[in-house]
Amino acid sequence: MPSHIFLHELILAIIVVLILVLLLIIAVLGFSFYSYRILHNRQSWRQIIEYKIMETIVGSDTNRERDQEFSKHLKEPSFRALFLEVLVDSDRKFSGAAKEAINGLFYDFKLEDQAWRKLRQSKAYLVAGGIQELAAMNVEAAIPEIKAKLNDERMAVYQEAQYAMVSFQGYEGLGFLEHVDKPLSDWQQLRLLYSIQYLPDFSDAQVYSWLKRTNDSVVIFTLRLIRKFRLLSFYAEVYELLAHPAIPVRVQAIRSMQAIENSATIGQFIACFDQQPIDVQLEILKSMKIARSRESENFLKEQLWNNAAVSIKIAAAEVLVILGKTDYLREISQETATGDELIQIIKHALQEKKC
Amino acid sequence: MLILIAEDDELILRTVEHKLVKEGHEVVLTRNGQEAIEKIEASDFDLVVTDIMMPFASGIEILSAIKRIGKKIPVIVLSSMGQEEVVVDAFDLGASDFMVKPFSPNELILRIKRLTTK
Repeated sequence: MPSHIFLHELILAIIVVLILVLLLIIAVLGFSFYSYRILHNRQSWRQIIEYKIMETIVGSDTNRERDQEFSKHLKEPSFRALFLEVLVDSDRKFSGAAKEAINGLFYDFKLEDQAWRKLRQSKAYLVAGGIQELAAMNVEAAIPEIKAKLNDERMAVYQEAQYAMVSFQGYEGLGFLEHVDKPLSDWQQLRLLYSIQYLPDFSDAQVYSWLKRTNDSVVIFTLRLIRKFRLLSFYAEVYELLAHPAIPVRVQAIRSMQAIENSATIGQFIACFDQQPIDVQLEILKSMKIARSRESENFLKEQLWNNAAVSIKIAAAEVLVILGKTDYLREISQETATGDELIQIIKHALQEKKC
Repeated sequence: MLILIAEDDELILRTVEHKLVKEGHEVVLTRNGQEAIEKIEASDFDLVVTDIMMPFASGIEILSAIKRIGKKIPVIVLSSMGQEEVVVDAFDLGASDFMVKPFSPNELILRIKRLTTK
């Protein structure tokens, strides 16, 4: 093959590559500019929307210029989507008349249709967003569809559906605990618990059955519920859970026993202490710290002297300080027979008290 | 009354500001804890409303600073759910009152009135 043909093809190939690189640079620049515009729009739109919400909550005179700008943007679907997003976000910040004012905006600007559309999408984050919006704005007509989402396989969807049911129905919305087999995350438990304001009279049978569930997270949630509402009548069932196979359940059981304590609690803690793993033992000592009972004094001294685990010795010394046994601790720390480790532990506990 | 609001959420900040201005108070706004401490050191506020979680310094650090400089200013703490233990710390450091978000701005105004008329 003649060399000039080869050179010609090489130059052509270089030109093609350069053109492709140039096109790629243009595409990247175009996309970056587009992303910047979206970001910029979102920031300025958010300000406009937040001002509108603030104005509605405060009930101040409307600024005509801002109002016109708001109405102009309302025609854009992405603005309406952001409006709905900010509205739901704001709904979580306020209660009382302010919350009602936010709800009013939802209906005044007919954002309900948008939320329904999201609920019927296939992407999990859109469905979860739709559930969140309909629940936040208290659209009760959505309950049957949201209830069906409790069985969805996708975490974002079923978690949002669980929360929505509780937002709509309070305690009665917890019915899904009867059959849920997926774990409830700590955060999910907290927000569900926070949304329950009262327990109806008929709750005992359900609480009892949730304590027997094989889903550990349901048992833990129920223990938190017992703690929140000080359900004293469940003391015996909570005590039984100290033999539960899952350590996190036992830890929560200790906390709940402390919250609904009676005259037998400290004795029961002492009696079961040696059979428990170290995490549960530490939780027992924490509960003794809160209880500040003289009944635990000798037990704590025994742990300080004889327990092999340093963390238990430290916790026992800290509780003794809380019980006012500082003189006793100082005395043993000054005895020549006391080991260096124990002296350090006592100094640490006494120092904690000073802090 | 001169009131400082320390809150990093723009909507809450503006809403509380407008409510307080409507009530005839003079309001100073700050969006971070460090700036709040500097403002408290520089001026004599009649009341402080502070969020717990803020950039640079928390509401707890603001309370500690007020205690350290020896100013007796009533402080209302705005907390979020799950911050109950922090609220206990806040009371130990001299907080006068607290409200959990979501909160009612009207109720906040009532609590401010109660504290400032004491």
